[in-house]
Amino acid sequence: MTLTPNMFPMLQAASWETFYMVSVSSLLTALFGIPLGVVLVATRKGHILGRIWPVNAVLGAIINATRSVPFIIFVVAIIPLTKFLVGSSIGPTAVIVPLTLAAIVFMARLAESAILEVPHGVIEAAQSAGATSWQIIWHVLLPEARPGLIQAVTITVINLIGYSAMAGAVGGGGLGDLGIRYGYQRYMWDVMLATVLILMVWVQVIQSLGDFLSKKFRR
Amino acid sequence: MAHSIQFIYSPDTRPDLACDRFLEETSCAGNTGEPIRGVKAKMALIEIYKLTKTYGNGKGTVEALRGVNLSIEAGEIFGVIGLSGAGKSTLIRCLNRLETPTTGQVLVDGQDLTCLSDSELRLARREMGMIFQHFNLLSSRTVAGNVAFPMEIAGQPKSVVKPRVEELLELVGLADKAKAYPSQLSGGQKQRVGIARALANNPKVLLCDEATSALDPQTTQSILALIQDVKNRLGLTVVLITHEMKVITEICDRVAVMEDGVVVESGPVIDVFTRPRHPTSRSFVDVVINQTDSAETIGYKPKGTLVRILFIGEAAQEPMISSMIKRFRVESNILQGRIDHIKGTAFGTLLLDLEGEPSDRRQALRYLNSLNLTVEVLANDPDA
Repeated sequence: MTLTPNMFPMLQAASWETFYMVSVSSLLTALFGIPLGVVLVATRKGHILGRIWPVNAVLGAIINATRSVPFIIFVVAIIPLTKFLVGSSIGPTAVIVPLTLAAIVFMARLAESAILEVPHGVIEAAQSAGATSWQIIWHVLLPEARPGLIQAVTITVINLIGYSAMAGAVGGGGLGDLGIRYGYQRYMWDVMLATVLILMVWVQVIQSLGDFLSKKFRR
Repeated sequence: MAHSIQFIYSPDTRPDLACDRFLEETSCAGNTGEPIRGVKAKMALIEIYKLTKTYGNGKGTVEALRGVNLSIEAGEIFGVIGLSGAGKSTLIRCLNRLETPTTGQVLVDGQDLTCLSDSELRLARREMGMIFQHFNLLSSRTVAGNVAFPMEIAGQPKSVVKPRVEELLELVGLADKAKAYPSQLSGGQKQRVGIARALANNPKVLLCDEATSALDPQTTQSILALIQDVKNRLGLTVVLITHEMKVITEICDRVAVMEDGVVVESGPVIDVFTRPRHPTSRSFVDVVINQTDSAETIGYKPKGTLVRILFIGEAAQEPMISSMIKRFRVESNILQGRIDHIKGTAFGTLLLDLEGEPSDRRQALRYLNSLNLTVEVLANDPDA
């Protein structure tokens, strides 16, 4: 058995594509997913913005609906939106749209449960000190939930790596795409093995980083 | 539905903004007339008037408060005692509207809290510090950060906050822990941080919600001493709720006993403690002075007359037993005795077996009664 001679440039290009897809969509996901999680908590009945609980009900329904669509179908279903936003439905940039949307709703639920871990008494202490709802979110909920939120981001990023491989199959490029087209369809076992190994290393590194940061902020 | 009628109170209260928690429980509930506002003349600092609080609606309603009236004077330490479920926690939470009353009024310094808008309420809350059973500190902030928190959200500049934090930590005896995190502190230290935080914005009132219930007896003592100390230094009014009579006798000036959502007895602590009128008050008192008749429990058979004597204040310092023995031909066998202090006033109980001729015993009892003691005859020997 011999190694595929042009494997390394291919791997390099695919790695870069995956890195690009995952990092941009991770950033966008955290940017929108965490605030959405805050809204999901704060608008619960009896919480600081409980009087607008219908917002919670509507958001919850939308999130559940989005999450129930299999990702591969979701990618295809929102092609019109993707085209509208990035002008194309093929390639790593296009794939960022479904990746981000799917991950935001996932992230929102994870952030919600992380923020719910903040004891209600701490919120009451802030209220009794005269804090506004916004101050409670910014100075109490987010800092207190920080270790949990870091864990939530870590899980989401790792999930995005997995999703990006699927998106590759529908024209997104990246390591998943490479693994399927060369490793599986052309029986290049070494390419398959290399993509899997690269992804494994990434996941390990991200998880360790997340654990480290989460622990650092857990007092 | 009940809530449709609740948005018609004072014109300056915007019902959509007025309520923190439940849409249907807007402020001013039940006050269909003119809300009392800005009336400051000859009123106690805190006036609670016909306060009710009902949780839930329909079949599952729970009436936590069923018409509470109290007035709390400026500068006193007012205790509310009751068993769990008596409504005392709901009551204290109505004082800064962490809980929105269903009907009734809470006036603090003449201002009706039930009629305030959100922003007015936040300003009013800064006048009242609160400490909690489980301390409720921000785990992500240092001790100094926790104490700074109320000032930061009040928009105080750093130049004000920093020296004030140092001053407060000095006051509660934690100057060396400024950089520690709450998880590194003991329970008592956490509550000290809680007290410093509650005092940050120079409040008039300190609300203590079971502040010592999670602490061991020794730490409880030191926290109570601290509350007393800061109250004296800063001229605070303290409202505390507890289920421990010891806390009441330790620092409170007046006490209200709550049961089932109403105040069943209230008055100066020494009065309620020495002459409880309500069975619930009596049971709280019994816990502290362990007044359950131990003679009975040990199966003691009196040889003469078994009496319990309660003496308060100066009477506790008189040698009345020995003078009784000298004056009358009786012997006394002391079965049990103890002296407690309620805010510096000595208060004692004595269980005596009085022996002697029945007529001598009667004379002796009459003498004891004349000394302004509370004398209670528990049993007589069979042949007397």
